[in-house]
Amino acid sequence: MVHNLIKNQASARDFSLSSAAEGIAPPEHFLGFGLGLRTDHFQDVLSTNPDIDWFEVVSENFMVDGGKPKHYLHAIRELYPMVMHGVSLSIGSTDPLNMQYLRQLKVLVNELQPQWISDHLCWTGVNQTNSHDLLPLPYNEEALNHVCDRVDQVQNFLGRPILLENLSSYITYKESDMSEWEFFNQVARQSGCNILLDINNIYVSARNHEFDAQDYLEGIDKDKVKQFHLAGHTDYGNYVIDTHDHPVADPVWALYQQALKRFGWVSTMIERDDNIPPLAELLAEVETARNIAYDTLGRLQPLKQGEIVT
Amino acid sequence: MDKLPLASLQQKMINYLVNDDPNVTSTIMKQIKDHGRITRDVRLNIYKNAYQVRLKETIENDHEMLGFFLGDDLFDQMVLGYINAYPSDNTSLRHFADKLPLFLANTPPFKDHPIISELAHFERFLMVAFDAADAALFTRDLLANTPPEQWPDLVFRFHPSVQLAHFHYNSVETWQALKQEQAPEPAKEQPSDWLLWRNKERLTQFRSLPAQEYDLINMILQGASFADLCDFLLQEVSEEQASPLALDYLLKWLDDGILIKQKFIQQ
Ligand SMILES: [Fe+2]
Repeated sequence: MVHNLIKNQASARDFSLSSAAEGIAPPEHFLGFGLGLRTDHFQDVLSTNPDIDWFEVVSENFMVDGGKPKHYLHAIRELYPMVMHGVSLSIGSTDPLNMQYLRQLKVLVNELQPQWISDHLCWTGVNQTNSHDLLPLPYNEEALNHVCDRVDQVQNFLGRPILLENLSSYITYKESDMSEWEFFNQVARQSGCNILLDINNIYVSARNHEFDAQDYLEGIDKDKVKQFHLAGHTDYGNYVIDTHDHPVADPVWALYQQALKRFGWVSTMIERDDNIPPLAELLAEVETARNIAYDTLGRLQPLKQGEIVT
Repeated sequence: MDKLPLASLQQKMINYLVNDDPNVTSTIMKQIKDHGRITRDVRLNIYKNAYQVRLKETIENDHEMLGFFLGDDLFDQMVLGYINAYPSDNTSLRHFADKLPLFLANTPPFKDHPIISELAHFERFLMVAFDAADAALFTRDLLANTPPEQWPDLVFRFHPSVQLAHFHYNSVETWQALKQEQAPEPAKEQPSDWLLWRNKERLTQFRSLPAQEYDLINMILQGASFADLCDFLLQEVSEEQASPLALDYLLKWLDDGILIKQKFIQQ
């Protein structure tokens, strides 16, 4: 049926519990188990059409006029649901919002029709200087009001709620007077945005700041979390750096299971940014995530297009 | 310790990342909590290092052959100099090193060897060709379907990826040698014109332009018609040769995929 999709874009799979008595059914927005789409895998994805539920793409990589990457992107979009993940919104910066960036983002949203759009709870630069890094905010009232105000502007401009993701961080400012999770949860409540919870980033920050990752999970409202990221890090003993260039580590898998217990079915994906292995290796990690979720919450049967749950 | 407003805290953090002045470091250090197993110094340094590594990797990816040409030490010197001279003001890393050819043309010791700046420029031309806008091509079929009486009036438009580049040195030959992992010939003055574009397989391609073809392409850029091209060639070849030669050029451009389909051309 692939040819039917040529002019279309793939829609999300429906999921149902294989045994309704076994657990809680996933929410409607549940996409299943996905992967961050990387340039190295374009060809493989198109030629092997792997059995995966969805892809996440980094928005900035496709804010170009044309050429090969965009060509592949559209071809893959015809086959899989997609979400867009940005790194340049700089929602916490005290610079004015970058309207040129937001317009480019909106153009790409129209092209790709993603299930949702996400960026990070951070700032990336100020006064026309861009660090190209995700820098933490101080967690206080001033920053909270500032971020909420800007999330509101962005959501109005895009005409839809966005997701914000937690960072890995290495410093705490003296200006902070609440925990990151209190701040994050307040942002989501007050601005109406949703949450992309990066399980690895929670682990990394918990190690670096010596807090209990479980406290983080419990500090976040259950109904706000729409996506999980799972990624690898580099452990230096006294601290951990979020390098996204390794397989997901065992303590992160363990934390993922705890997150599933708290938040239930949440669209989950493997995010590898560097030291990119063959596609099969990452697909195996996606399967690990799927199996952990099934073991924790019950087995799901993805329904074929048009199939009806009885 | 006074709590800083968000704007000045961010300014101090950015200053720290882009600046190596110890006073700037101690200013942001005062705002960082001292806790846990690692010092504030180690904590801040993770950010400083990430900033520098990310920008360096961007230049390495964009300018691979330039990197081979310079060798590690000079390349590192270039990266540090460029990062300090042109901190990024763009949301996209794709454009971070846009001013690298300019930097290399004006900064010692690089400016003493103009081929270095030209190599960087060539690699940026390739990047532009790689992700320029798409456009439907003017093809042999479309030409065949154009009534012959319309041919003299045909004007042409280039694909958005097409670029003309002029180099004063043997820069492209040097780039090609490096690409093939061979030692390039010594730098020498060798003025030449080049055509760069993205081909039908969406791969970047380039070739040198002989003087005659260069002139024709410049005429097209100024709006010349097919008849104008034939007239120009009449100055160089005999009357019987001019039209076939013009057609040869046209077919070559169609096969290269550098001309785009235009509305007035009938399907
Ligand atoms: Fe993430």
